[in-house]
Amino acid sequence: MIPGKYRSVSGRATNNVNCGLHLVIQTSSLPEKNKVEFKLNKDTPSFPGRLLQHDLERNYSSRQGDHINLVSSSMPSFPILQRSSEEKILYSDRLTLERQKLTVCPIIDGEEHLRLLNFQHNFITRIQNISNLQRLIFLDLYDNQIEEISGLSTLRSLRVLLLGKNRIKKISNLENLKSLDVLDLHGNQITKIENVNHLCDLRVLNLARNLLSHVDNLNGLDSLTELNLRHNQITFVRDVDNLPCLQRLFLSFNNISSFDNVSCLADSTSLSDITFDGNPIAQESWYKHTILQNMMQLRQLDMKRITEEERRMASILAKKEEEKKRENQKQSLLKEKKRLTINNVARKWDLQQRVANIVTAQDRKDSDSPSQDPCQIDGSHISASPEETGSLDSGLTSALQGLSVIDSHLVELDGDTLSLYGSGALESLDRNWSAQTAGMVTTVSFTFIEFDEIVQVLPKLKIKFPNSLHLKFRETNLVMLQQFNALAQLRRIDQLTIDPQGNPVVNFTLWKYYVLFRLSHFSMQKINGTEVTQNDMIMAERLFGILAHVASSELPQYRLISILGDARKKQFRYLLETKGKKPGIVNEENNDSKRLIGENTNRATLNYTTRDFYNERLEEIKEKKKFCKMYIEDLVKEATEINMKNEALQKLWPQMFIELVRDAVIEIRNKNSYMKLCLQQITDQK
Amino acid sequence: MLSPERLALPDYEYLAQRHVLTYMEDAVCQLLENKEDISQYGIARFFTEYFNSVCQGTHILFREFSFIQATPHNRASFLRAFWRCFRTVGKNGDLLTMKEYHCLLQLLCPDFPLELTQKAARIVLMDDAMDCLMSFSDFLFAFQIQFYYSEFLDSVAAIYQDLLSGKNPNTVIVPTSSSGQHRQRQVLGEASMEGVEASLFYQCLENLCDRHKYSCPPPALVKEVLSNVQRLTFYGFLVALSKHHGINQALGALPDKGDLMHGPSLDEELERLVVRSRLHRTFAAHRAKEKQGLWLSEEETSPEALERVPSASVPHSTPY
Repeated sequence: MIPGKYRSVSGRATNNVNCGLHLVIQTSSLPEKNKVEFKLNKDTPSFPGRLLQHDLERNYSSRQGDHINLVSSSMPSFPILQRSSEEKILYSDRLTLERQKLTVCPIIDGEEHLRLLNFQHNFITRIQNISNLQRLIFLDLYDNQIEEISGLSTLRSLRVLLLGKNRIKKISNLENLKSLDVLDLHGNQITKIENVNHLCDLRVLNLARNLLSHVDNLNGLDSLTELNLRHNQITFVRDVDNLPCLQRLFLSFNNISSFDNVSCLADSTSLSDITFDGNPIAQESWYKHTILQNMMQLRQLDMKRITEEERRMASILAKKEEEKKRENQKQSLLKEKKRLTINNVARKWDLQQRVANIVTAQDRKDSDSPSQDPCQIDGSHISASPEETGSLDSGLTSALQGLSVIDSHLVELDGDTLSLYGSGALESLDRNWSAQTAGMVTTVSFTFIEFDEIVQVLPKLKIKFPNSLHLKFRETNLVMLQQFNALAQLRRIDQLTIDPQGNPVVNFTLWKYYVLFRLSHFSMQKINGTEVTQNDMIMAERLFGILAHVASSELPQYRLISILGDARKKQFRYLLETKGKKPGIVNEENNDSKRLIGENTNRATLNYTTRDFYNERLEEIKEKKKFCKMYIEDLVKEATEINMKNEALQKLWPQMFIELVRDAVIEIRNKNSYMKLCLQQITDQK
Repeated sequence: MLSPERLALPDYEYLAQRHVLTYMEDAVCQLLENKEDISQYGIARFFTEYFNSVCQGTHILFREFSFIQATPHNRASFLRAFWRCFRTVGKNGDLLTMKEYHCLLQLLCPDFPLELTQKAARIVLMDDAMDCLMSFSDFLFAFQIQFYYSEFLDSVAAIYQDLLSGKNPNTVIVPTSSSGQHRQRQVLGEASMEGVEASLFYQCLENLCDRHKYSCPPPALVKEVLSNVQRLTFYGFLVALSKHHGINQALGALPDKGDLMHGPSLDEELERLVVRSRLHRTFAAHRAKEKQGLWLSEEETSPEALERVPSASVPHSTPY
């Protein structure tokens, strides 16, 4: 028999999800008028996947059923099917046993030419007794109760196997069906795609309404054109790029939520039609353009044609997303780096503080007599002998040096805030800041830097960042009220924030008032976030006003000049050091200092010199002191010598006077000889 | 001036006793340091100003600690200056910690050592709870004793230790009767008996005063302090010293405790300063407003007008 030609044509899309499937079976051996066409049209309704239809039934005469006799056989469960010879001749290659209330497959005798067998809408639980129908091409077991695919191993010619709406749990026993063209397993309980890899002629695979949770193991299906996976629980899809002919893929009503889970679709060149509706991914804002961008070969998405406009929008949006992601990545990298650097700086600061504590404690120990002072250094180093503390010290300093290899400071300019972490950051003030960026900076924040070091760069700060109005200090070792005096040299401060962390000065009751008093010419608005009230100012003035009065009016003139002179000298020294000094700036400096002094002479003498400078100065003065001491000593020696001589003279004078008189009188006793003596003396003199 | 005792001393000793050399040396040193500035208005004037300030007690302002400690007069002047400058703090009633007082001291003397302040605080707090708050007057008087007589106190401490451990060969230590003791905290953590016997203590102190080069409190007054009690501890002794009026007057730096907050001339000055600062602020605020283009009449902007109504300006919402 000439095998029939089977042609399947994909149906048109309709509004519903149903797609049409035309299966045409032609048998050329029959005479013309017996050609029967089966159009299996899925246009109707309720049941997607129902292949056989009204039309088909119409093609049949209902009389066919009449001609089937189901005769009970010797085997109790299997009826034997017999058809009248008329029927056999008329429809020799097809047999319809629809809605026959069959619970088992009957034994079909003498129908070895059968090519189409229809068992739709029965109650069959097992596929049996059809092994002899080795010419079978079309087997329809739709809507039965089959639990397992079996009994098909002899049907090597089978092309269409319809097992929809059964109770099949596993795809198996299809090994010999190598010619299979259409495999319909919709409406079952299949959880896994397996054992289909040998079906290289398969064109349509329907696994809708099953229990699949993922899609893979599709290699080998080299002819697959349509894959229906609607109404499953699929979360990710793999292997689709191994299907060289796949054109239509229906994934509606599954559980796909991200494109990464179906990324293999992007690699499939043959796909032209895909549906994702009913998945969580379809609710996302980026759904459409991500799909479009990743699957350029698509022609229809969710049953709608993709227009050029849409494609363009998709690519633009995708590019924007990409950029945003890159930006975010960069930002997070920067943030991470910043965090690490700050941690590093903090650790270094900590070590420094501890070393400093040990050193000062040691000093104190050395300089104290056996006194009652207990030295407390964080409780841990009290009883250390000098050698021990020495070694501990070196251990810490070596750790300190080790740290400095990594980034040890951080400078961050963020709009209007300049943040400096670590003492190395102070050098950044030397950089060439553009006038615009520098002008925008209103807040400068110092962290993990010794206040004494900050003091030295304040003149630079004043010049480079003229608009800085708000200063913040954290972990800067502010311990004395006196240190605030150093801030007076700035041009202007509106707000001051001293973080309690690392600044012991905040623990003092009077620190705010002192700041307000010393820096009253700035008319500060806020200190540590709280507004400055008139009462605060008055209180500050009240508390420290006398100090100012004393400092200005009771100092002798030369002291005033020398103290003020010092401050001015420092400013000029800095100016001379900066390169590119403009005469304008110098004048401004003069005006500034003059104005300052005009406003606040009484406070200007309250200065702060860092400890190191102070000690330096004292060292310098030592020489002078030594000289002065020696000089005065010499003077005193002279004076005492003169005094002694004077006293001695006082004592001896009477005696000497008497002797002088006596000598004179003795001389004059003999007038003549005296006259001769005098004349001689005069001639001698000549 | 021309008393015979004066002439009895040899030259150096006389000068040393009056610390004349110290001042001379310091004057010449200051001259050297500031010769450019001073040469402008003459050396004679400089010396006049210098010794005037020594007389007035203002020469120690903002000087280094070694200078301040050098002579008793310097120390007394420093105490007086400290009192005058920060009397208002005391008047305000604030209780401050030892560290804060130290800060205030540092405002006047940048390198003032912390140990001295700590020792002074110990006297007030009776060597207990060093973080406690202290009142200004308590601290001031204790500080006076500690600073002015610091060497003396060190020797006294040594003597006290000796007495406690019974090293003094002169007498027998009377074993304890810790009743009748009105002051009571720990004494240096040692002996089971509290303190030492007062009379014994006094004998040792008398010896000390005789041979001490440094200044010490008048022995008569010390005797007075010690005669009131049977036994006393070291800090008890110091507290008694600090609170004794006679010693305070003998020092001559500070007024009596009652008059500590009193200082009419300075108060007036302070009021003037306060008013001026208030005016300055409102004036500056007005000027700022003016700059913003708000129109103000001339009378309103004159300082005199503002001065006339200082109290009225306060209730206004001050613009800042």
